[in-house]
Amino acid sequence: MIPHAPEPRRALIGEYVLGLLNEPEAKEVRGLIAADREAAQMALEWEAHLLELADQLPPQLPSAYLWERIQQSLRWSATTSSAPDKERERWWHSLGLWRLTSGALALLVLLGWLPGVWNNQVVTASYTAVLQQPGESAKPGWVVTIYSDGALNLKSLITDQIPADRSVQFWTLVDPVDGPRSLGLIDPGEGTTLSAEQIGAVEAGQLFELTLEPIGGSPLEKPTGPVLYIGRAVLIASN
Amino acid sequence: MEHNTFDYEGTLEACARADQEAFKRLYQQESGQLLGLAITLLGRRDQAEDCVHDALVKVWSNAHRFDRTLGQGRAWIYSILRYRALNQLRNRGRLVQTDDRFIENMVDDSPQAEQQASDRSDGRQLRRCLSELERPRRHPILLAFYRGLTHEQIADRLTTPLGTIKGRIRAGLRALQECLQK
Repeated sequence: MIPHAPEPRRALIGEYVLGLLNEPEAKEVRGLIAADREAAQMALEWEAHLLELADQLPPQLPSAYLWERIQQSLRWSATTSSAPDKERERWWHSLGLWRLTSGALALLVLLGWLPGVWNNQVVTASYTAVLQQPGESAKPGWVVTIYSDGALNLKSLITDQIPADRSVQFWTLVDPVDGPRSLGLIDPGEGTTLSAEQIGAVEAGQLFELTLEPIGGSPLEKPTGPVLYIGRAVLIASN
Repeated sequence: MEHNTFDYEGTLEACARADQEAFKRLYQQESGQLLGLAITLLGRRDQAEDCVHDALVKVWSNAHRFDRTLGQGRAWIYSILRYRALNQLRNRGRLVQTDDRFIENMVDDSPQAEQQASDRSDGRQLRRCLSELERPRRHPILLAFYRGLTHEQIADRLTTPLGTIKGRIRAGLRALQECLQK
């Protein structure tokens, strides 16, 4: 029974919008919204207020395939031919200058003042890479530092919520022809240090990225999940 | 996310005219936030991506049904996403035990007076109104929004009689209505 008075009616529509009602009740309210303009407006008003709660959640980066899938479902011909691998290759190649825009530069300057990072006494930092979400230029998530002795340190600036059935994997890419190489799994929010042997030689422009993979890591020799953070090594000292 | 400046209504109307570029802009603007909500509701990234996929396909194919005189474009998009997510949850059947402690933090951080004033001026005041509710009325509403739980499931989770939960939610929503119209 749908109440006629506007206030109880508005509250009931709120319950419907929140998804609280069982199916027979929900069906009744759905019917009302379809038939009654005012009821439809009430539903959208509730929905608009609730956006505030949705906006409290951090946005999550969709996998590169999601857009591809949507286009395929809509039968948009232009991109249906590109295979997932092609799409990924484009990710790798399309990393233009955004990686060194203001946010990353500011962080580089900041790093320069931190003791231990730019410390001349023992080992010095040779390269650094600021890893950011693809397409984001002012939200550094992780910092890679490669020291003069060849060791690599990966440090987290933020803590992401990772689904319990997923792992975060760390990769590097020197030459797209060779493809990315796994540097192991990472605990979200926790950094890691890798020896020079594990890293190999590092050069300017070398890519580092974190991807979301099935638990235990990618089943293949390459990333299979969405890129969470990515960035290129920049030379900061030459000695 | 600059959703205050993005023209959702105009973009949806462009989608209704089969403007693919407009849809692409909408995807770039909103897919991250949609996915964030879907992951919180569904708890799994793969299913959340399926949900965002389905919702956005629906947004495109139903864009001609959007009517800006009925309400906000962004609210319309989220109504589609939430509807699909809730259907996915209902079809899944069994409820997964989740840690819901975070949801109270979504309301509890008491904003500065200045922020409150600006919230009021751009009509964003749900969180303020929620914070004025007592927890027993507020918490079930947040569980419904962030976890997609029904009356029965909330009663179950909070080990409270169904009638009590229904009464509290209804009273909570009425109080919210009143507060939101101030």
